[in-house]
Amino acid sequence: MTVDAAELDLLAETLRKTMATHTGSALDTALRELGWAEMLTEMTDETVPVVFRLLGETGAHAPLVNDVVLHASGLPTGTTVPLPYAGGTWVLWDRADGAKTSAGSEALDGELPLQRVADGNPVPLAEGRRALGWWLAGTGRAMLSLARSHAVDRVQFGRPLASFQAVRHRLAETLVAIEGAEATLRAAEDDLGCLLAKAAAGQAALTAARHCQQVLGGIGFTAEHDLHRHVRRAYVLDGLLGSASELTREAGALLLRQGSAPRLTQL
Amino acid sequence: MNVAEFRAGLTAWLDENDLRPGPEHSLDAHVEQLSRVRRALYEAGWMRYGWPASVGGLGGPAVLRAVLGEEVATRGLAEPGIYSMIEVLTPTMISYARPELAAEMVPLLLGGREQWCQGFSEPGSGSDLASLSTRAEQRGDEWVVTGQKVWTSLAQYASRCVLLTRTAPGHAGITAFFVDMDSPGITVRPLRTMHGVDEFAEVFFDEVVVPGERMLGRPGDGWQLAMDLLPHERSACFWHRVAHLYTRLDRLLEETSARDEDAVGAAYLALHTVRCRSHATQRRLAEGARLGPETSVDKVLLATAEQRLFDTARDLLPGVVELDDTPWRTEFLYSRAATIYGGTAEIQRNIIARRLLDLGKE
Ligand SMILES: Cc1cc2nc3c(=O)[nH]c(=O)nc-3n(C[C@H](O)[C@H](O)[C@H](O)COP(=O)(O)OP(=O)(O)OC[C@H]3O[C@@H](n4cnc5c(N)ncnc54)[C@H](O)[C@@H]3O)c2cc1C
Repeated sequence: MTVDAAELDLLAETLRKTMATHTGSALDTALRELGWAEMLTEMTDETVPVVFRLLGETGAHAPLVNDVVLHASGLPTGTTVPLPYAGGTWVLWDRADGAKTSAGSEALDGELPLQRVADGNPVPLAEGRRALGWWLAGTGRAMLSLARSHAVDRVQFGRPLASFQAVRHRLAETLVAIEGAEATLRAAEDDLGCLLAKAAAGQAALTAARHCQQVLGGIGFTAEHDLHRHVRRAYVLDGLLGSASELTREAGALLLRQGSAPRLTQL
Repeated sequence: MNVAEFRAGLTAWLDENDLRPGPEHSLDAHVEQLSRVRRALYEAGWMRYGWPASVGGLGGPAVLRAVLGEEVATRGLAEPGIYSMIEVLTPTMISYARPELAAEMVPLLLGGREQWCQGFSEPGSGSDLASLSTRAEQRGDEWVVTGQKVWTSLAQYASRCVLLTRTAPGHAGITAFFVDMDSPGITVRPLRTMHGVDEFAEVFFDEVVVPGERMLGRPGDGWQLAMDLLPHERSACFWHRVAHLYTRLDRLLEETSARDEDAVGAAYLALHTVRCRSHATQRRLAEGARLGPETSVDKVLLATAEQRLFDTARDLLPGVVELDDTPWRTEFLYSRAATIYGGTAEIQRNIIARRLLDLGKE
């Protein structure tokens, strides 16, 4: 089954609306009704990036990474599977909402029903990393958008913050990181490509968190402002299926082992 | 001719025709080698693909030029910085020179018969290029040029110069000419560079007479010409440079005994990122997109990756840059200029802020 650009735009519009009003298990259910299972099995390369990027941009969440990993393992979707986390640890991303699980969520991002588990079995990583990479890129875009609006609207010293070069360059740096990460995500095909893409996306989201937090000043440190939700999400998602710094090290180890640098994208 | 056919034919040809450089590392030797490579590739046809027949090309998609440059860089046949100048100069001639002039001149450049240079920067006008003050005054059918250019790469080897002059105030008062470097009144004074390869020069113009038919475009088109040129630099040229940098990472992996996985991984990730971005830019170009300010992202990624790579080399090959006279030293030092030439790192961020993030004026 193929899907053209216009259909994808339409899908993105529908998803965006759905994610604006649903999150967590409600969004999980809504997405299933929109055909998430078929999207995943029949046109995964086209739809997974859209779904995960929009999770990031809208700030909604759903336990979909389970499905991506399950599908890559050749297993039926709709359940959960222990997922590797930074530092050789394991987590479970519940399909019920945090408050409804017996343990509650102790994650830095308290909205996510994510908790440590003792261990798990090795799972395929590439597809999940690419999906999470798109989520991180979307989260980066959400932070950039908040910081951009603030910079344009807020006046200090009689001028918009956006007129100060130090502020402009932080936002420019953020955009460069996100655009670079998206290029690696679009090019990610094999294991190494997906590993690098997750590393680039994690790094981009962390760069966005640092610069956007700074540009938002005090307001960005309040719980009323939305920024902190995206910042928390970026940190938590960075560690899932390997953090940017771990994956970068893993790539370095591979290069040192094989003695040359793979050229992954060809003209 | 598609990419696969082209690459297969080219690599087979290169395997049979040894164009590898000699042991000499002087700039004279580099430039001579560059001419040799261009001449051979032109005569065999490879250099002519991706360029229109109107300038001596054999047609085909522009991406073939990127493939050629990638092979040249990967095999270390020519220094990629000076090799890639064709990617900037030729499109400028195609877009702005009279068709007869372009048809006459471009084959001389592509065929390795001549070097050309680009005279934009002046002592008083670097980032603020639009403030340039080298004057051109009309005298009948001719123009008379007086002023000074600086940091003009390869000027001491060049037969021609794409020169920006001032003919009226403001951005709309900049006019470009295609000037013969042997014109009376031109003095070239090579400048010593920090990395020891004296690739650029000061160029003085003292009442230099330029025929009106050597104007590129019309009076006042010079600023647009300069703006149009950057995206060219940022498509095929960048792909060449990235290919070159991969060869240096390979060389570092061969030579280092340090097992610093973090540093190697970070250098690789930065290179991979700009490679993916540059690939996407090539693809957009092939689909007919007009490249614009978004290529500043490519430029920032490339300059950052290049400096990170050579910083990593300096760390993982301790003392090699400082104590041994090897190409690592030259290349490390040259990488310091990556955030200066072709628009500084700060100027790129200004463009991104203004044009891509729409942050209004500073
Ligand atoms: C190796 C090399 C090769 C070159 N080859 C050529 C060539 O072939 N032809 C040619 O015409 N030129 C060439 N150049 C010149 C190059 O284009 C200029 O050096 C460059 O545009 C910067 O100008 P500048 O050196 O005058 O620095 P300046 O413009 O004086 O800048 C100095 C510093 O101030 C910063 N700065 C300036 N304006 C701003 C601003 N608005 N906001 C924030 N920061 C700012 C800059 O980013 C930089 O860090 C070459 C340069 C090098 C290093």
